[in-house]
Amino acid sequence: MQDRFSSFHPIVNFTYFAAVLLFGMLFMHPILQAVSLASALVYSIMLNGKKAVTFNLLYMLPLLLITAVLNPVFNHAGVTILFYLHNGNPITLESIVYGVSAACMFVTVIIWFSCYNAVMTSDKFIYLFGKIMPALSLIFSMVLRFVPRYIAQLKVISNAQKCIGRDVSQGTILVRARNGMTILSIMTTWALENAIETADSMKSRGYGLPGRTSFSLIRFDTRDKTIFLIMLGLIAIIVTGAALGENTMRFFPSMKVPDRSPLSFIVYLAYLGLCLLPVIINAVEEIKWKRIASRM
Amino acid sequence: MSEKPLAGSRLSRRTWLAAVLILVVIPLTIILGIVVLDDRKYYFISLLIVLYTMIPFALVFEKRKPQARELIVIAVLAAIAVAGRSAFFMLPQFKPVVAIVIIAGVSFGAEAGFLVGATAGFVSNFFFGQGPWTPWQMFCFGIIGFLAGILFQKGLLKKTKLSLCLFGGLATFFVYGGIINFGSVSIFSSQFSWQVLLASYVSGFWFDIVHAAATVLFLFILARPMLEKLDRIKTKYGLIEPGDK
Repeated sequence: MQDRFSSFHPIVNFTYFAAVLLFGMLFMHPILQAVSLASALVYSIMLNGKKAVTFNLLYMLPLLLITAVLNPVFNHAGVTILFYLHNGNPITLESIVYGVSAACMFVTVIIWFSCYNAVMTSDKFIYLFGKIMPALSLIFSMVLRFVPRYIAQLKVISNAQKCIGRDVSQGTILVRARNGMTILSIMTTWALENAIETADSMKSRGYGLPGRTSFSLIRFDTRDKTIFLIMLGLIAIIVTGAALGENTMRFFPSMKVPDRSPLSFIVYLAYLGLCLLPVIINAVEEIKWKRIASRM
Repeated sequence: MSEKPLAGSRLSRRTWLAAVLILVVIPLTIILGIVVLDDRKYYFISLLIVLYTMIPFALVFEKRKPQARELIVIAVLAAIAVAGRSAFFMLPQFKPVVAIVIIAGVSFGAEAGFLVGATAGFVSNFFFGQGPWTPWQMFCFGIIGFLAGILFQKGLLKKTKLSLCLFGGLATFFVYGGIINFGSVSIFSSQFSWQVLLASYVSGFWFDIVHAAATVLFLFILARPMLEKLDRIKTKYGLIEPGDK
């Protein structure tokens, strides 16, 4: 399935991920954590399919368990003592629950990052930050281009060296190692010389002069505006909740979840809406498409 | 038209600014984190600190409108580091990145060293996957390049194999290992305690040893030829010029 959320403006994508990652790291409230974890799972499976399922089961589940177990072993705060370890340290209910909660938070952030990697491709990142830090994002994009280019050039050099019997596949191990070093040395010299040439070319084409235009195929249109405003609204509600202390809970010395009020439910719903935003967009687009296709 | 020098003979004002910002901003943020966020959220606070320390470099670098040649040399060195990291992907921790970052710092100055390190850390994660560890790696690689540049300018670090290998091994083990292990503690465990930190240092010990050994080995092989090549480029194209020329 194609991800529709990826086709939105990079600033919408980036704001979304910045918000869910930040909130995922900050909020310790069990309901909010469950919402974030579930949404991250759904979206990662939607984006990466089978790969995401195996990733989550094979790496994230063990990670969750290890992190959850680790906390009570080192952390002995809390009033509800369950039993004592051999060395006399108590294991408390609070520290176990806190461990589970912290582990969930960690795993949620990792899964969100796996979604981020699929949606925020490097070109989007460079587009976004090209305006704020032009020099650095130019470096980023050059490095991204140089790596495959150097690997291709390495093959060219290696083939040329093979013709005169000086490739890494020829001779004794010591000779091979020396040949390999020579190839790398040729490569580095070529890269540096080539770089200076590129720089001179850039300069002669007016790099750094004022009045520069930039090429981009990305437009901020109405649908981006709608989603962006909705997102900002949801974020505002969640931040209000955080300011009122709704979004977190106390673990030590004893556990205490803030009392639920109508406002807390609004905050929970807003958080659910924010986290599931791409999933909702994908579902709505899918329904729209099905309806159009069935009418034809 | 005169190219801006990549490295001056003495510490420039901008190097001092960066150093002061690092030394002042870090403690301030820690205090802020303890007071405002009630000393919880270690990961969040430490992430902020790491990002904070990188911002001045980015700002200063953008502000002085670097020349195309300077940009491209930094990009080439970072690309070599990234390619080196991907070439050794099957050997955990056995990576040439720190070695190349140190060479960059020695050859082109503290600021270039930082930028090469941070860029290599950031861009290589486009190939290996971004995560909460990205800012930590960027910061560690960057600060090693920065230190190498400063120590070289101050004359404490020489362009000899022994001096570079010694610095490389120590910097990888103590600076990189020390900060990365602290970072992983702040990522993995939510409740800071000395035992967890100690456990992390103990379990990371062999990884750090391998990483340090790799750095020493790569510096031993690469340092002289790489520095020669960089010096040659600098002389040939006049990358390093006194400001008045």
